[in-house]
Amino acid sequence: MVYYLIVCRSLTQAQRTAHLLERAGIAGSVIRAPKLISKEGCGYCVRVAERNLTDALMVLRREGMPPRQVFLQSAEGVYSEVPA
Amino acid sequence: MIYLDSAATTLEKPRSVPAAAAWAMTHMASPGRGGHPASALAADTMYRCRELAAELFGVGDPERVILTSNATHGLNIAIRSLVERGSTVLISGYEHNAVTRPLYALPDVKVKIAAGPLFDADGVYEAFRRELTPDVDAVICNHVSNVFGFVQPVDRIAALCRERGAPLIVDASQSAGTLPVDLGRWGAAFVAMPGHKGLYGPQGTGLLLCGGETRPLLYGGTGSQSRLQEMPDFLPDQLEAGTQNVCGAAGLLAGMRFVKERGIGRIRAHETGLARRMMDRLAAVPGVTVYRGPDQSGLFSVTVDHMDCEEAGAALAKRGVAVRAGLHCSPLAHRTAGTEESGTVRFSFSAFSTARQTDRAAGLFRQIVTQGKEAR
Repeated sequence: MVYYLIVCRSLTQAQRTAHLLERAGIAGSVIRAPKLISKEGCGYCVRVAERNLTDALMVLRREGMPPRQVFLQSAEGVYSEVPA
Repeated sequence: MIYLDSAATTLEKPRSVPAAAAWAMTHMASPGRGGHPASALAADTMYRCRELAAELFGVGDPERVILTSNATHGLNIAIRSLVERGSTVLISGYEHNAVTRPLYALPDVKVKIAAGPLFDADGVYEAFRRELTPDVDAVICNHVSNVFGFVQPVDRIAALCRERGAPLIVDASQSAGTLPVDLGRWGAAFVAMPGHKGLYGPQGTGLLLCGGETRPLLYGGTGSQSRLQEMPDFLPDQLEAGTQNVCGAAGLLAGMRFVKERGIGRIRAHETGLARRMMDRLAAVPGVTVYRGPDQSGLFSVTVDHMDCEEAGAALAKRGVAVRAGLHCSPLAHRTAGTEESGTVRFSFSAFSTARQTDRAAGLFRQIVTQGKEAR
């Protein structure tokens, strides 16, 4: 499966992000950010399915919470940054 | 025991509060310190706590709700964020030591006092209007006096602060859960409140609502940006160093749910109704002075001619009635009201206080006062 990881500055922001997405009918789970993408150490992100990314970004922009970074997590576990 | 000391801590809690706190102790780990379910559960509880507080108290963004260990903790953060060496601060004449001591501890801070007469909201407002000069760097005002239950005109004071560009800190210790408290409507820089009084949470809990710029008071681990030695510059992490009181947050969440369900207006009507009922009875006792006025919450103070307030409080305790006597950590409020030398006996109520308890306590107090006089 391919997922997108919406990087958040804090756990609370990740929770808020997931909550806003949930209200819009988009499933997103809060997870600890993989070390490879968390350059400052110990971060959190919200994982959404590939098909939901466009809608998720639209919701977050509308709520005034555009993500700092978004990473694609490939089926092989490789992370690559994509435009947010 | 008849417990009439809810202004210090509400002792009787909704059943859900101790249940939630106890459950958290054995099921929730450190929030933000791991990805396992016990940590996630703790984080979820903390977030729900912020979210409900944001809803109840007019905070647009749950990230700006900080979980503190009490109102004093929140007030210290607020004061350290706004006040520095050489600052001028305007405070009301009814502030608690939770405000005056942190200010006193800062070097070269000038404290001006807007001291209006007790139960004279217009007089207090006029004092703020007069004293809020351009040199004032911050304004601090409690919503309700913890000694007299005097509801200060915070709506008008907040409007004045917005008009004159002065950041406002509101101490909502005696109003959260019984009066409308709204960070957004006030445009306040900070609102601090305890969790263990009108919100029915456990002791060791509190909330700080942040409307303005913040500075950390404690430094340490936050579970975020761990490589950096600076504290995070975002909330709530910047102000929540160290492992948080998850059991307390679980209890506080249950307490706030109770307040929301019962309704702030209904709780206030119940408490003020009992306070008035008891004030009426005590006012009829010769030698008792009841401090009452039009703008009063569900707590009040009395003095007794020729009887030490501590003696009266101890006599009540001996008969199974819990009240608080003395200066209530608010010598400034007593000075403003003219009771600094005598102190007062304070009676305060909660959603769980009853008319029967109130009448019984009033009868016992009458007995104590009468016997005291006869003994002399």
